[in-house]
Amino acid sequence: MKILQCPLNGPRNISEFVCLGEVKPVPGPDAGVAQWADFVFMERNAAGRVREWWLHIATNYVFLVDRDTRSDEILATYRIGDPRLQHPTGEGSAS
Amino acid sequence: MSNEPARLPARAGEFIDRERPLTFTFEGRAYGGFAGDTVAIALTANGVTILSRSFKYHRPRGILSLASCEANSLVEVNGAPNVFAEGHVLRDGDRVRAQNYAGSLAHDRHAWIGAFGRFLPVGFYYRAFFRPRGAWRFWEPYIRRIAGLGRVDVNAPHGYFDKAYLFADVAVIGGGPAGLSAALTAAQAGARIYIIDDQPVLGGSLNYLRPDTAGVRAGKERDALVTRLAATPQTTVMTGASCEGLFADGWLAIVRDRRLYKLRADRVILATGALEQPAVFRNNDLPGIMLGSAAQRLIKAYGVRPGNVAVVLTANDFGYGVALDLADAGVKVAAVLDLRSAVTESALRSAAFARNIRIEVGTKVSEALGRERIRAVRIARVQRETPTKDGYAAPFATVDCDLLCVSTGFAPNLALAAQGGARLVYDQRTAMHRPEDLPTGVIVAGAANQQFDLAAVIADGERAGRGISSAEPDESTSGVSHPFPICPHPKGKEFVDFDEDLTITDIEDTIASGFDDIQLLKRYSTAGMGPSQGRHSAVNTIRIAALARGEPESRIGTTTSRPPYSGETFGVLAGRSFDPVRRTPMHHRHVEAGAQMMVAGAWLRPAYYGALHEAESAIADEVAAVRARAGLIDVSTLGKIEIRGPDAAEFLNRLYFTAHLKQPVSRARYAVMTDATGAITDDGIICRLSDRHFFVTATTSGVDAVVRSMYLWNAHWQLDVDIAHVTSAYAAVNLAGPQSRAILALLCKDVDLSSEAFPYMGVRTGHVADVPARLLRVGFVGELGYEIHLPAGCGEFVWDRLLEVGRGFDIKPFGVEAQRLLRLEKGHIVIGQDTDGLTHPLEVGMRWNTGAKPFFIGGAALQAHAQRGIARKLVGFAIDAGSAIPKECHLVIEGSEIAGRVTSCAYSTAAGHVIGLAYVRPHQAEPGQIFSIRVDGGKLVQARVVTLPFYDPGNARQNA
Amino acid sequence: MPLGLLFQGFRRRPPQRILPAAKPLRQRYDVVIIGGGGHGLATAYYLAKDHGIRNVAVLEKGYLAGGNTARNTAIVRSNYLTVEGVAFYAESVSLFANLSHELDFNIMYSERGHLTLAHTDAAVRTARWRAEVNKHLGVNSELIGPEEIARICPRLNLSRHARYPILAALYHPPGAIVRHDAVAWGYAAAAARLGVDIHVRTEVTGIATEGNRAIGVETSRGTMHAGSILQAVAGSSSRVAELAGLRLPIRTVPLQACVSQPLKPFLDPIIVSGSLHIYVSQTARGELVMGGATDPYPLYSSRSTLEFKEGLMAHMLELFPFLAEVKVMRQWAGIADMTPDFSPVMGATPLQNYFIDAGWGTWGFKATPVCGKRLAQTIANGKAPDLIQPFALDRFANFVQIGERGAASVGH
Repeated sequence: MKILQCPLNGPRNISEFVCLGEVKPVPGPDAGVAQWADFVFMERNAAGRVREWWLHIATNYVFLVDRDTRSDEILATYRIGDPRLQHPTGEGSAS
Repeated sequence: MSNEPARLPARAGEFIDRERPLTFTFEGRAYGGFAGDTVAIALTANGVTILSRSFKYHRPRGILSLASCEANSLVEVNGAPNVFAEGHVLRDGDRVRAQNYAGSLAHDRHAWIGAFGRFLPVGFYYRAFFRPRGAWRFWEPYIRRIAGLGRVDVNAPHGYFDKAYLFADVAVIGGGPAGLSAALTAAQAGARIYIIDDQPVLGGSLNYLRPDTAGVRAGKERDALVTRLAATPQTTVMTGASCEGLFADGWLAIVRDRRLYKLRADRVILATGALEQPAVFRNNDLPGIMLGSAAQRLIKAYGVRPGNVAVVLTANDFGYGVALDLADAGVKVAAVLDLRSAVTESALRSAAFARNIRIEVGTKVSEALGRERIRAVRIARVQRETPTKDGYAAPFATVDCDLLCVSTGFAPNLALAAQGGARLVYDQRTAMHRPEDLPTGVIVAGAANQQFDLAAVIADGERAGRGISSAEPDESTSGVSHPFPICPHPKGKEFVDFDEDLTITDIEDTIASGFDDIQLLKRYSTAGMGPSQGRHSAVNTIRIAALARGEPESRIGTTTSRPPYSGETFGVLAGRSFDPVRRTPMHHRHVEAGAQMMVAGAWLRPAYYGALHEAESAIADEVAAVRARAGLIDVSTLGKIEIRGPDAAEFLNRLYFTAHLKQPVSRARYAVMTDATGAITDDGIICRLSDRHFFVTATTSGVDAVVRSMYLWNAHWQLDVDIAHVTSAYAAVNLAGPQSRAILALLCKDVDLSSEAFPYMGVRTGHVADVPARLLRVGFVGELGYEIHLPAGCGEFVWDRLLEVGRGFDIKPFGVEAQRLLRLEKGHIVIGQDTDGLTHPLEVGMRWNTGAKPFFIGGAALQAHAQRGIARKLVGFAIDAGSAIPKECHLVIEGSEIAGRVTSCAYSTAAGHVIGLAYVRPHQAEPGQIFSIRVDGGKLVQARVVTLPFYDPGNARQNA
Repeated sequence: MPLGLLFQGFRRRPPQRILPAAKPLRQRYDVVIIGGGGHGLATAYYLAKDHGIRNVAVLEKGYLAGGNTARNTAIVRSNYLTVEGVAFYAESVSLFANLSHELDFNIMYSERGHLTLAHTDAAVRTARWRAEVNKHLGVNSELIGPEEIARICPRLNLSRHARYPILAALYHPPGAIVRHDAVAWGYAAAAARLGVDIHVRTEVTGIATEGNRAIGVETSRGTMHAGSILQAVAGSSSRVAELAGLRLPIRTVPLQACVSQPLKPFLDPIIVSGSLHIYVSQTARGELVMGGATDPYPLYSSRSTLEFKEGLMAHMLELFPFLAEVKVMRQWAGIADMTPDFSPVMGATPLQNYFIDAGWGTWGFKATPVCGKRLAQTIANGKAPDLIQPFALDRFANFVQIGERGAASVGH
């Protein structure tokens, strides 16, 4: 069972979390059909470093995770608003 | 076949307890043994050498390794199939049976298959059995019956199994010399250690190997290490425990008896030893042919003499140790055959020579002779020095024997390392694999790390205990494993994989057929796919493949080692199978009232109140009570969410299809949630309790996803709003019917319940039976009614009080089935029944005021749907008397095409005929139009589109 | 005794080659197929056989058919939900039934009957829906109750006191299991006999384009010009599509499976339970092959987990309590490309001459023959036939989905 370091709850078994998908720019309120279709359906689905939204089930805590989808490593986890998130994915140390 | 007693005198350190004899049966005959004996040991002690019949050719098989868990030793124990005879420790009264034979084990009727081996070459089933058409259908049942090994007892009870969690700083897998010294070293640094070994006692190879001429060193070393360990704090020993899997983040699966231990370790030391490997020659599978270490285990751990006259085939020093052990046990050693032509002197070899044991250097076994047991070997000279294919050479002598011990090499046991992602690379110099790319925190030590000299093994364990990854193995590891202990014979039957009955020719033919990649080789020939999973066959297979392809073994690669290591029962993996059940605060009242409870996700809800056979009448009575007087239903399972904050209204307005930004305080609104594809995902009621406070209900099964999407969307929007999931904090009931106001008024004194003061879709807070409550006037069932939300702890109390004061009005509790019917009469949809995963609001007649609500989740998608045009519409329909009643999901047929389907359908007493909801094509959706439904048996039934609702179209009753 | 065996037994060795020998890359191919699994090999075969297009290369980065074709649980059926899906998979079933003859290779096609168990009212409804659609399109399926289920599979636990009692089942008699590797090997051998080049250990590293047209392929062994290109690389679809500058509606997750030690036959039909998230069948070798839901988060790895087995076995024993002493022999995983609507993506892409076969999630193996045949037709004619039009990549741009969630997978 993999361990995920939750920014709020600390290290927990990964079965306590739900992966909510890749971080993608959300279309603005005036965005049209094409933009929304792209946002909803199209994925980068990268093999390598990704940044995703995750949720801790028991506490409903939403946070961000940098993961390597090839090696199954958790690279870093962030609470929303963490200043390290300003850097593009590729930086930011493990928490 | 021998009837002579095979037990040796007792010795220190043996695994058996001679004070505790036991009896067991094998194939219906009773035998004796001792506590600590495994099935294989006890049978050998009783002179029984055949354990099983092989998978394909049904050849007699006996002990091979006593370590590698191969199919040779699979038996049925007390009805459980495919038990390793060498692993199952006997209990008094055990009933053991052999597997995979017809008739008897000694005279298997299927043994004739072996005579037809040339007609059953590798992959034979791919090129036969399919012509003419239907041929496979004819042959397959027969092949299925012959295939398989163990028999399943379909009446076997589901026994007790459980699980436990363990935590360690260091987990040492293997309690032999390397593991023990690693544990001791790590413990010195203060670590909490678990040491795991699958044998009944610690010691590993020290319990059977003979590194010295006197034969005392191993035992002494073991005693010293074990004593020191026992005196070391913070170390826990688990013997008789098998590590079946190494998973991410130091997560180990350990099985002992009927318990699965899940061990989390910061560091893992794999001191798993090396598996001695068989040599390949004609008839190398005969009972009586075993690995040298197997014979040593028999002698030293179990006090069993493995035979009377032995030949040892060796290519290293270990074989001479075996010869000395055999001689000490009273076995006549007829010859030691050394595959090596030039051998440097060693103390063990000299000692064997000094005891007048015949030693033939540069000599191999070309063929073993015997029927049910070996009776002699034909021996030949090794022609070539270099480790390339040594062709067939005519034998120069025959040596009689009833035991052949093979010590021609080892394979480091790296299965767990490979499970963790390590690559196994063949070291051409040592003819063994070593691991590369070990996962973080995993270290290999001892024979698993190609260390075989005892002092080097112990030193290697200490290194591992200090946490230092290993360096290149030293010189002592060369000359331990022969690079090609494989002797082809013109008449074949030189077995490379015992589980699958594969010979040298089978491997070569597989490659010649084009399956030359090691993975294709495995899949086509099935080499390594049996219960041993390649533990005794993979290395020799690679060597034959390397030769056939003209490439070094390191280029051939390996197949992938996967969990479990030796096999885990379904039961131990399942454990006690906890499956949570959720009960509402009023659960006991429903059971006491005789409700039939139904499963709704993890919840239990009352379907109706009455016996099974009374379902129809019970439900009808409940429906009638609600329409005529009053009913009470427990709706505590409804999802409930508190939304608070300055941006609460804005938040809900963006999230829901329906409009809530300007929703007045103390009003409720029917709310529909759509996802970004425009599909309806949930519905409920949104109540505005204040400017900044909303109370939201959701469906029982949908609320978790609703809450998650709320949290996710607000992570994007960062609106100033607090979201609290409060489903289990509140109990809730729906009090519905023309008398509901009168009943409620008896218990609720602080809310003006009059129709003017508290209209339909109003929200009030007050007290019911002195319990704080939220009152929602909602009309799901189409009558005057109140949905009352209460603190969960008070649910049962208020339920009782309502029924009590309602008795005078003949109130009736009603369940989910009645509610479904009642809501259908009002034409209300049920999410997940009247909607599917793609239904969007425009298909179910919901209007969308684009002007009032420029943005909500799913808006863009709905634009796309609207532009493309609606393909289906949900309509109400009626069916006149006399027709069959359609069932949910019966199809609407127009011409020869599917035009839609029925989603809800039932007979309505209030309407006097069958009513329902169905999807039809838009042009069929006008009230009065007729459409066809195909019911059971293929008949078409006519239905008439009807405006909704079916009941009380003016809504007078619900608005009362 | 089958004549074939007698003939083989008396024939002199060495045996005939089945899989083709390695060849050098040509400079130009009319069609380059990226991906040497079942789909890619089948497409190559039908291009040669149905359309006479033989200058075809199949490029496989690993060993032949070593991706999901080697890892699936080999179930063939057409009891889907949508009209589009049922018609599509029904054609696949009929191609499968004849495939051993077509390829002169025994794929061990074994019709066993397929039972999808319903444990809730909602599941019963969906089962009825599928049965009705199937029947309408001439596919043999029906909704049956516990008594009939007991007749077909007497070993199932049909107790009313089980945690999730079985209420009904969708019974699909044509449901079958197959030797999955043999399908790929059969197609490969037959395609090679017709002149197709199969290049293994050849990884595609780039797609060469000219304006909005794909014109060639760069590989680890060299480059080649291509008239048309098809990518059929389940588990790597997004990675390869990225080389062509395309994004896909795909999330890639592991799909685990496991197998028991070989047992004497006791289970005839294929059993699926949506509520319990499991499916199981017994092979001709006697092993129980079992699978469940996909892994919970995206990952490009076929690593195994303990929790997968634990959950699966807890549910297996609810259906078959007497199996507690049976052992798991091995577990593994494939890598599944999941789409939002659980239907595949086939046909043209915005890049001219570049075709795609992707989004096969947990429903790809059973489509091998129909996919190969119809994509060959698409490439040869430059236009997707009606049967696979609904699965076009651009459906998502208009929020059109072919919803097969309930019928395609368990655990959702």
